[in-house]
Amino acid sequence: MSTTLRIKFERTGPVCYIGHLDMMRYFQKAVMRAGIDVRYSEGFNPHQIMSFAYPLGVSMETRGDYFDIDVLSYPDCETIADQLNGVMADGIRVISVTALPEGAKNAMASVAAADYLVSCPALTDDMLQQFLLRKEIIIAKETGKKTSMEDIRPGIFALELREDHMLFMKLKSGSDGNIKPAAVLGALSEIFSIETDSDRIIRLEIYGKDGEGTLVPLG
Amino acid sequence: MNTRSLALSHDILMKIEKPARYIGGELNSTMKEKARVKLRFAMCFPDVYEIGMSHLGMQILYGMFNEMEDVWCERVFSPWVDLDQILRREQIPLFALESQEPVSRFDFLGFTLQYEMCYTNVLQVLELSGIPLSAKERTWKDPIVIGGGPCIYNPEPIADFFDLIYVGEGETRYRELFDLYLACREEGVSREEFLHRAGRIGGIYAPNLYHVTYAQDGTVQGMTPEYEDLPKTIRKETVTDLDAAYYPLKPIVPFIRATQDRIVLEVQRGCIRGCRFCQAGQIYKPIRERSVETLKRYAGELMKNTGYEEISLSSLSTSDYTGLQELLEYLIAECSARKINVSLPSLRIDAFSLDVMNKVQDVRKSSLTFAPEAGSQRMRDIINKGLTKEDILHGAKMAFEGGWNKVKLYFMLGLPQEEDADITAIADLCNDIAALYYETVPKENRQGRIQITASTSFFIPKPFTAFQWAPMNGMEEFVRKAMLTKNSIMEKLNKKSISYHWHEAGTSVMEGILARGDRRVGKVILDAYRHGCIYDAWTEQYHHDRWMEAFERQGLDWEFYILRERAADEVFPWDFIDCGVTKRYLLREWERAKKGETTSNCREQCSGCGAASYQCGICISAR
Ligand code: SF4
Ligand code: SF4
Repeated sequence: MSTTLRIKFERTGPVCYIGHLDMMRYFQKAVMRAGIDVRYSEGFNPHQIMSFAYPLGVSMETRGDYFDIDVLSYPDCETIADQLNGVMADGIRVISVTALPEGAKNAMASVAAADYLVSCPALTDDMLQQFLLRKEIIIAKETGKKTSMEDIRPGIFALELREDHMLFMKLKSGSDGNIKPAAVLGALSEIFSIETDSDRIIRLEIYGKDGEGTLVPLG
Repeated sequence: MNTRSLALSHDILMKIEKPARYIGGELNSTMKEKARVKLRFAMCFPDVYEIGMSHLGMQILYGMFNEMEDVWCERVFSPWVDLDQILRREQIPLFALESQEPVSRFDFLGFTLQYEMCYTNVLQVLELSGIPLSAKERTWKDPIVIGGGPCIYNPEPIADFFDLIYVGEGETRYRELFDLYLACREEGVSREEFLHRAGRIGGIYAPNLYHVTYAQDGTVQGMTPEYEDLPKTIRKETVTDLDAAYYPLKPIVPFIRATQDRIVLEVQRGCIRGCRFCQAGQIYKPIRERSVETLKRYAGELMKNTGYEEISLSSLSTSDYTGLQELLEYLIAECSARKINVSLPSLRIDAFSLDVMNKVQDVRKSSLTFAPEAGSQRMRDIINKGLTKEDILHGAKMAFEGGWNKVKLYFMLGLPQEEDADITAIADLCNDIAALYYETVPKENRQGRIQITASTSFFIPKPFTAFQWAPMNGMEEFVRKAMLTKNSIMEKLNKKSISYHWHEAGTSVMEGILARGDRRVGKVILDAYRHGCIYDAWTEQYHHDRWMEAFERQGLDWEFYILRERAADEVFPWDFIDCGVTKRYLLREWERAKKGETTSNCREQCSGCGAASYQCGICISAR
């Protein structure tokens, strides 16, 4: 018997420059250090059962990313969070831990949308209104060697200019259609001939869907 | 909250390979408040981050220094060539990982020199830091540049670039040196006066306060200190009790995968064997063991503090560790409960090691390793490698019966007194092992063909070995010998079961020159660096022609340093270092080698090497 625990974490500062695979390795070690009774795969080289909701690109900051681990036993969610936070490196922090009900989909399979924040000083409210009024926004999408055209408009759930010229985006994510924040910035830049910088994007939250199809945070 | 800011801009970090090499902040790295420390030490491993971070010695000194309240030790590595160019172009000073502040602001810049081919990287780090390359041009504005590690048993080729050289194990004298430094700064004495006083501390050599003279034939005549109270010989520092020595129980855990991505337990220092080609075997004498109890405790702490999924044992020859069986049995039990892998060092193949390998490795995937170093028994006697063909075949047979079918063999080419028959014997040995497999394992039990991998490196004579007098082969001779090895393997019946690899010859020649060079070689290193040599330890970055041109420009004959046999009474550039093992003993070993006579190891019988003067380890324990 095992339970799946969903761990929500943030990363900020210099540590954002580590890649996704290294982030996974980091958390595997952290789970070991925290002394969590984690479940391992069978076989000659057993590894922790761990799955991330969404890869974190190099340099992306996050205030709400998720991964799942399977544990054979655990005291309670808060204790697990404290144990992990007791062994973190600077810039990485566990925000919360939730135990998933039996049979729940894993983090990666659940992803439906994500929120982002990025500084965009050249963008005005007017531009944003115009942009959202468009029925379709076609961008060229490169997959491997091929380039195809894609309409990203349906996947843009919300755009909003917040204080300090921060652009907020709620975008469709996951296996059945994934809109990258950089693609939206690229479209804005092309349509309005403004400069955008897709380098320092902050992910704020990742959502799944509940029974009614409403977006709810993953954990 | 996170307050560290990075020395490199976002744009630069996104342009270079593996930006995480340069951000610091790893688990167990140390941050201190600048204002609360008196001395800042930048510790540099002059190679790329992943290699440097795998080095235990660096973790030892880092942890030890940072335990001192008034000292803050940070790390510096060679920026990879991509960042190197950017730093030069944009004039960004090289920085230490923790504070991200320029290295030039530190009190000390320490280099650990693990292989000669890193010398141009030392110059790279100095230059990128804005520190004058020549020690003589430095002022109090510059950090004190100090070097340590195995290469400094001949510090002369790099003497021009260092203010101080620390000879021996770092655990013993640094506190004394730091206190002297702080007192000198307080007192306001000159930089030279500080170096002068430092040169009186045991194990510390101030190279630029010594003057070297040369004889007519180009060999060293003598060395005179500029001050009467400086010692004429520098005696190596040694930790006498390893159990009492500092051990880094909270080592830094890199974010990116380092070459050594695991817990490292150093079980002992030194080696009981006296292979005549081997420098490590001599300079770390006498062998000193850590107790099994200490190691068990360390293992537990390290697992808790790092989260690594693998643990390995480290030493020069772990099979010789007397507590090996007990330690391994303990670790295997402990680690399987925690799902941690035990990564085995290469062990002498016997019933015990096969049993252990069977427990922790997948037999079908793992391979047996033998390092006979030479193909013929005659040659193995010359180099004093106590491994016989019978040992190898016996071990291999047991392993084949246990299901193994991969064998790795390591040899050297170009050993002293070598004849072609010794080289073709390599092919014979490989072929015999293959034949033994087919004899031992019935057809129906075979997992395909046996896979034998034979690798050869080129022998490089090193200071403080019995072969320090020996000539080294040149490039053409090396290549000829590698071809001979290859062709003789190709003639064998089982040639399809044997694959052969050899080491690049150019880097070996250069390593040989740097290893036994004198002070005059320093200007060649500088010249080669000025003409683009850097990362010479990386085969694809190495340019042999540039080095040869540098010798020509500097009017120095490289052949002098490697091709000739040195006379028994020749004065060597490194003679002023006393590493315990005496020149008399080494000369005796050189004579015995020429006669093909072997010498017993320290555990069988003391051969009076001189290291007993340290009064520790095997020299004073009961046999
Ligand atoms: S066993 Fe021989 S080669 Fe290995 S460290 Fe000891 S002396 Fe050197
Ligand atoms: S003095 Fe004897 S026992 Fe000690 S290291 Fe030398 S040879 Fe070995």
